[in-house]
This record gives sequence, C-alpha cells and structure tokens, in this order.
Amino acid sequence: MRCAEIFGLGLLGSYLPYMLEGAIWTFALVGGGLTLGFAMGVPFAILRVYGGKGAKAAIDAYVWVYRSIPLIVLLFLYYWGIFPVILGVKLSAMATSILALGTRDAAYETMIFRAALESIDPGQMLAARSLGMTRWQAVRTIVLPQALRIAIPGWTNQYAIMLKDSSICFALGVLEILTRTRYVTISIGSYFIPYLIAGILFIILTYGGTKVFNIVYEKVQIPGLVGGK
Amino acid sequence: MNSNIPVLKVENLKKSYSGRIILDGVNLEVDKGETKVILGPSGVGKSTLLRCINMLTLPDSGKIWLEGVELTNPNTDINKMRQKIGFVFQDFNLFHHLTVLKNVTIGLTKVKKIPEEEAIKIAASALEKVHIPNTLWNKYPAQISGGEKQRVAIARALAMKPSIMLYDEPTSALDPQLVGEVLQVIKELSTAGMTSLIVTHELHFALEVANELLFIYNGKIVEQGPPEEVFANPKHDMVKKYIASIYSRKG
Repeated sequence: MRCAEIFGLGLLGSYLPYMLEGAIWTFALVGGGLTLGFAMGVPFAILRVYGGKGAKAAIDAYVWVYRSIPLIVLLFLYYWGIFPVILGVKLSAMATSILALGTRDAAYETMIFRAALESIDPGQMLAARSLGMTRWQAVRTIVLPQALRIAIPGWTNQYAIMLKDSSICFALGVLEILTRTRYVTISIGSYFIPYLIAGILFIILTYGGTKVFNIVYEKVQIPGLVGGK
Repeated sequence: MNSNIPVLKVENLKKSYSGRIILDGVNLEVDKGETKVILGPSGVGKSTLLRCINMLTLPDSGKIWLEGVELTNPNTDINKMRQKIGFVFQDFNLFHHLTVLKNVTIGLTKVKKIPEEEAIKIAASALEKVHIPNTLWNKYPAQISGGEKQRVAIARALAMKPSIMLYDEPTSALDPQLVGEVLQVIKELSTAGMTSLIVTHELHFALEVANELLFIYNGKIVEQGPPEEVFANPKHDMVKKYIASIYSRKG
C-alpha cells in the first residue's frame, strides 16, 4: 500500500488514458514528418543523381544545412522566426513540429535514397534507353521501382529515429507523449511510473512500426533484388 | 521507303577515351536482310562501335544513318530512332524487378504506348520465337538460367519490331553449355531475314550466320568480305594470326 502511494500507482487509472492519447499525437508527428520527408527526399535524390550541376549544388547545400542544425534550434527558428516573422504565417505548434521533423528528415532521406539510386546497375538504364525510353521514363519505370525497394530498411531506421526525436516537440507544448508525461508528473508529484510508461509506449511504437516496415519490405521483395530470396 | 538505301550506314566514325583512340574512322553498311559479324581481338573497340551506333555512347565525329535518317544529327529524335534498333547486351540487362513477360511488354506499353492486351500478344509471339515457354513468363530474371535470360533479352528487343538487331557479344557471359541455345536463336532470326550486326568471338557461328565478316583492328576495319573468302585468303597480318589462333585452339 505504501509502495503504491510512493509511486502513485493508485492514480494510474486516472492518467493512463491521457498518456495513451499522447501516443496518437506522437504517431501523427512521425507520420506527418516521414511523409513530408519522403515527398521531399525522393525528388531531391533524383535531382541529386540525375540533375544538372546547379540542382546538385542546391541539394547538397540543403542537406548540409539541415544535417547541421539541432532539431530544437530548427523548431524554435520555425516557430518564432521563419514562419511568423519572415513568411508572416501563423502556424500551430503541431504544424510547425511536423514541418521541422519533415524538412530535417528530407535531408537524411535524400542521402538514403541517393545511395539506393546509385546502387542500381547502370546496365538497367542503358537497357531502358536502348528501348527508346527517355531518361525520365527510364528513371520512373526502371530505376525508381528498384531503388524504392532497396531503400525500405533505411526508412525503417528513419522511422525509429524520428519517433524518439519527436519528443523534442514538447518544447513547443505539442501534446505528445513526453509533454503529457511531464504534466502528469507535476500533477501527481511522482516521476518514476509515468516515465516508465512513457518509455514503454516508445518501445511499443518502435517495435510495432518497424514490424510494419519489415512486413512491407518482405511483401514487395523481388527475387534477385537486394535482400530478396 | 527506297529499297536502295542501306538499313545502317556508318561513315568515318571516330571515338576516343581520354586521348586513347578506340575508333579511328570506321565505315560500314548493312543492307536489309543481311547479317554482318564483327570480329577482332578484345579491346579493339567492337563494343564501342555498337554502342555508338545507337548513340548510347556518343561518337566524337562521323555520321550514322538508320534507313536514311541521320542519327548523329542533333535534331533527330534519338529516343524515337532507338525503338528501331534492337540492342542485345553481353550481360543481358534484363529489368530485375519485372517478370519475363513484363520485361518484353514494357517497351511496348511505355514507349510505343500500345495497350496492355495487344502488347502481351506481341510479346507472346516474340517469346515464342526465342523458345521461351509460357511456364517461364511469370518468373523473375533471377529465377531463370543465363541462356534463358539472354533469349528473353532478345525477345525484348525483337518485340519492338526493330529494323536492325545489334548483338554485343551475346554469349560471352554464358556458361559454355548455354551458348548453343542463344546462338541457335540468333541464327534462326537471321535466317528468317532479320537484319543483324553481331559482335562475337564464336567463329564457327560467325561462319555459319554471316553474309560478311568485318575485322576490326586499331580502331579500323582492316579486312572484310564473305566468310569463305576471308578464311581462304586472309590478307591482313592480324586476321591471319586471329584465324591461326582459333585453329590452334581447336587443336
């Protein structure tokens, strides 16, 4: 009984649903961030590999900048500087967070996808061109479908990383897992159990998400392509 | 189309890589229905010549015409012209992520914009010509043998209904026991009237299939003529040595 009081176990029922709801927010942050990262990273990588000199330099600059800035600095820059002051748009903490996670993720996905594109045998492009395909047709129908499959493990990794990075969005008060955990600890005056639950939630989300990626990877696998049987 | 113009004409073609001359003024013509075979030691530019012909490698100078259309003219739509040039690679280059059937239909559906259903019919007929049974149609390239891969690659080129087929050492990457089935297919196509230009080291095959042999050495065609003539009376030293080496190898 004393033990339960010290750890605040008796109150578990009152705050657990509140924390679980945080998992949904965390999931939304990661879903939004990864989608944006993918939507930007894939075309960036294509430009980086097949584009002209100017495009290559621009992509390299983007990657360099976004890999250099800590996520929390990026969040604050977006939230208090770039969007409200320079662009004059008022964005919610949630939208700002997704933009920060996504634009940063784009830099990493560009590099993941660039490696995948460059790993495709140049003979594939030659064969496609020999049939009369334009360069873009060959990229779209021959190189891209192979590279996308190869890049899935890299994206699985990005998911696992972003899931935990997303907790930094508590700095803007986004109601994800960490923010809610902090509110709970303040209101019940006990730390251990709420943070333990937060940890377990992240473990479950990491496990479940990577599992889904792995299933997709197996499903779209083709004999003879990397990882195929 | 004027039947007097050759299917393929190459004039004074030159190509060098970082100062090293690979092709030093090659001239050749292939007429409709003809099969010409290019021979010569390794590394003399035979493959480069073939790749220059469909502009996968850009020549430094010289001109190339396909059925009277100049490919080397920058205003020519090269993508359109490449549809008429079947190219068979040494290492097959089948599309790894596509089934056998899709490998053959993709050029038809994506490049020629032929409806799927009709494309499958054309592909079926091409696959039949190269003796690929329909039990293999849904296999991926990694699941079939090297000989089958190369025959599918030939079907892929053939389905586009090309004016000429270019074969770049089509059996060099194959195990010896698989060479025969591929050469047989190429021979059948040539005999049936497919205009062909073949780079190979298979001399016996060359003798059987060629209307004319072309020997390349130091970036130039040093000797050419009907196989019997060239073999009976080789003039150039390289050709004499090349033929002698083949015979000595046979023991």
